[in-house]
Amino acid sequence: MIHEDALMWVIRTRDPEFVDWEGFTAWLEVDPAHAAAYDALMAQDAGLEQLIPADPVHMPAPANDAGDPGERRWRPMRWIGGGAVAAALVAVVSLSVVNRSDIYTVTTAPGESRMIALDDGTRIDVNGGTTLRLDRKDPRFAALDKGEAAFTVRHDDTHPFRVMVGDDVFEDAGTVFNIVHSGASTRIGVSEGKVIYNPSAQAIALPAGRALTQDATGLHVMPIAPEAVASWRSGRLVYANARIDEIGEDIARSIGVRLTATPGAAAMRFTGTIALDKDPARFFTGAAPLMGLTAVRQGDGWLLKEGDGPQS
Amino acid sequence: MDMATGLSAIFLQNRPALLRFLRGRGAGDDAEDMLQDMWMKLEAKDLGPVADPLPYLYRMANNLMLDRYRSTVRRAKREQDWAEGAGGVMADPTSDMAVDERMILTQRLGEARAVLRDLGPRVELVFRRFRIEGVGQRQIAQELGVSLTTVEKDLQKAYRAMIALKQRLETE
Repeated sequence: MIHEDALMWVIRTRDPEFVDWEGFTAWLEVDPAHAAAYDALMAQDAGLEQLIPADPVHMPAPANDAGDPGERRWRPMRWIGGGAVAAALVAVVSLSVVNRSDIYTVTTAPGESRMIALDDGTRIDVNGGTTLRLDRKDPRFAALDKGEAAFTVRHDDTHPFRVMVGDDVFEDAGTVFNIVHSGASTRIGVSEGKVIYNPSAQAIALPAGRALTQDATGLHVMPIAPEAVASWRSGRLVYANARIDEIGEDIARSIGVRLTATPGAAAMRFTGTIALDKDPARFFTGAAPLMGLTAVRQGDGWLLKEGDGPQS
Repeated sequence: MDMATGLSAIFLQNRPALLRFLRGRGAGDDAEDMLQDMWMKLEAKDLGPVADPLPYLYRMANNLMLDRYRSTVRRAKREQDWAEGAGGVMADPTSDMAVDERMILTQRLGEARAVLRDLGPRVELVFRRFRIEGVGQRQIAQELGVSLTTVEKDLQKAYRAMIALKQRLETE
């Protein structure tokens, strides 16, 4: 049987805003059994988060309570990095033939990376959780459908290398560059040479040390340290004032975890270098405090939240 | 102003109340020593600004008691394992084992999902906001446009169900 009063005090003292410690003291002093009941329930509370699946909850609109905007204010951010099971099963990059016989798809599981050497001398490093299409008949073409890839392009003036991302085209001009594409946002960083964004439309030239992002807020061009471009290849993620939600996607893809963030954490920003580690527990022990966050194991994934909770 | 000094001053002012709290929490004769430990920690650590110093000190004392309880339980369990001859014997860490564990985890998460679903979406949302994300009850009540009492009742309901599930899984 659960001690109902003790449960009430467990809930109250777990609240980050709890202040009635004198009231709690008074309740404890009534009976020495109260402290024991409280301790026993706090022990039950410990680790409860590991039992809770990481699925977000969708609140249905209340039928009798129209016009309450509070319901929709909270939406969980979520990145699916797949599970370790999926990563274990898909140990090898799968090659599947799509439509025309010369177009083929390269897929990597989250946490898995792969290097592809094209006939023209171009090298593509594919990060985890990525889908890339290539053309056997045209080694100067790639389409990044989702995920992240770094391109080290053998430049040819007469036949530039083109990467399609959705409807956008990135065209090389003697180049090493990295592209991340997820949902509606695209990020590209250039570390050597030059890339032309949409040569037949905006035609924005991106020299080495320049990055471009395209998302719901529009197109943005900004500086990027060349060594930060595609740093995932050397087991590091390097950021300058990047949003935690973008970083979370990179982490999920690179180490192969299911990762979510509270809205508060997702909106925070981070500058610095994060060392990657395929052991998620070890990785988050170092990485979360570095970003000013706490990582908790939740269900079969991880959750990033702001600062420290009241207790573990 | 030196924040650590500020916190130390508040510690000294409220020493009798904190002592009473630790005794109430079951610290017994160790209460004085635990306060001394707290004092040393406050003096040693360069704590940043603390918004509510007194609740912070109470929480620190409460956490000390929770740690103490946890280590007592762990020690008792180790001694029991030793008496039963299980001490130091590790299960064979084969790959089959990991697959079994993963299946058990998946099954447990499925059961937890069902328990949470039965509680209804509001109770589940309130519980996740509070227990997983560490958001306070006042803020949750504001977000959902419900009273503080409703949030507290939802949490009690969710806690009862989840603790019952945890106890059942542990005895399986």
